[in-house]
Amino acid sequence: MTVTLALADFDLPTRSASGFLLRHVVPRVGPLPLYSLLDRRLPFTLSTGWSDIIIGMGHGEADAFTGQNMTMLLEVNRYQPQEVKGKVIYLLSCQTGDELGPDTIRKGAISFLGFTDDYVWVMDSDMASTPWSDEMAASCLMPPIDAINALLDGKTTAEAYNVQTAGYIRNAETEEDELIKSLIEFNMRNAVLLGDRRASVRARPKIVTPLPPPPIIIPLTKPKF
Amino acid sequence: MSTEYERLKEALNKAPTPEARAEAAQRFKEYQEKQKALGKRNSEPTLVSLSTGKKYPTAVPLDKVADEIATNPEYFELVRKITTGEKK
Repeated sequence: MTVTLALADFDLPTRSASGFLLRHVVPRVGPLPLYSLLDRRLPFTLSTGWSDIIIGMGHGEADAFTGQNMTMLLEVNRYQPQEVKGKVIYLLSCQTGDELGPDTIRKGAISFLGFTDDYVWVMDSDMASTPWSDEMAASCLMPPIDAINALLDGKTTAEAYNVQTAGYIRNAETEEDELIKSLIEFNMRNAVLLGDRRASVRARPKIVTPLPPPPIIIPLTKPKF
Repeated sequence: MSTEYERLKEALNKAPTPEARAEAAQRFKEYQEKQKALGKRNSEPTLVSLSTGKKYPTAVPLDKVADEIATNPEYFELVRKITTGEKK
C-alpha cells in the first residue's frame, strides 16, 4: 500500500504549507506525491486505489477539499466510497472536519483528522521560495507535520492527535507574539479526530534528508494588494 | 498580555458596526506598531488561511489586516474568533 499525498502549491498559503510537507514528509512516502499540477481529481482518484492513508493539504470548506488551483478533490456526496473506505485521512485544510470528515467516516474511512474552522497562520512572504525555513510559519505548521509523521511511524490516530496537541501547546507557551500565539491556540481548538481512535497504518521508514529541497521556482498567484 | 493586544481584543468583542470595525482596525495598527518597535516585523509577514468560498482573501499582509478589518465584516469576525477564542 502507498500513501496518497495531495499537495497544492499555487498561492502563498499552499506554498507555505506544502514547503513544510516537502521538507518533512515527502522523503518518506515514495516517489510520486500529487504535488502542484498533479494535485487534481483524476490522479487523486487513481492514487487512492493503492493507498492506506490519504494526506491532503489544500484549500477547503465544510463540505469540500480542493487541490491545485482549487480544483475539487473530495466533495460530500460527489466521490466514490472506495476512495476513502478503510483509510486513515489527514486533511490540513479549512473546515473539512465539519461535514466532509463525518461524510468520509460514513462512507467507510477508518479515521479522519482535520479542522472545523479556518486553518490560519502567519507566514513570511519573503521566504516563498524556501518556505520550510520560515520560523514564523513553523509555529503553526509543525504540529500537523509532527502528527502526520506520527501516523507514518505507525502510531494510532489518537497518539498522532496527541502529538499534534502537545506541539501546539509547546509552541503557544514559548511564542512571544500574541497574535501568533492566538493563531496556534485557534488551530488547536479546531482540530478534530473522528472515527476509530485506535486506527493506524503500516509504519513507513523514517527518512530524514540532511539537505532541504532546492528553492521552489514555481510562480504563485499573488494576493490583490 | 500587552496593553495593545488587550485593547484589540476588547474592540473585536463589540458588535461589527462600521464604528466598531474602524476602532478594531485602529487597535490592530497600534498592535502592529508595537511589534515593529520590538523588531518582530522585519520581513513581510502575511496572515494566511486555507479557506475557500469566503468573502475575504486567503492571504493578507499584516500591514493590510487593519484595512481588511475596517472594511470587511467577515474578516472582522475571523480575527475576532482568532483573538478572543469565542464563537458567536
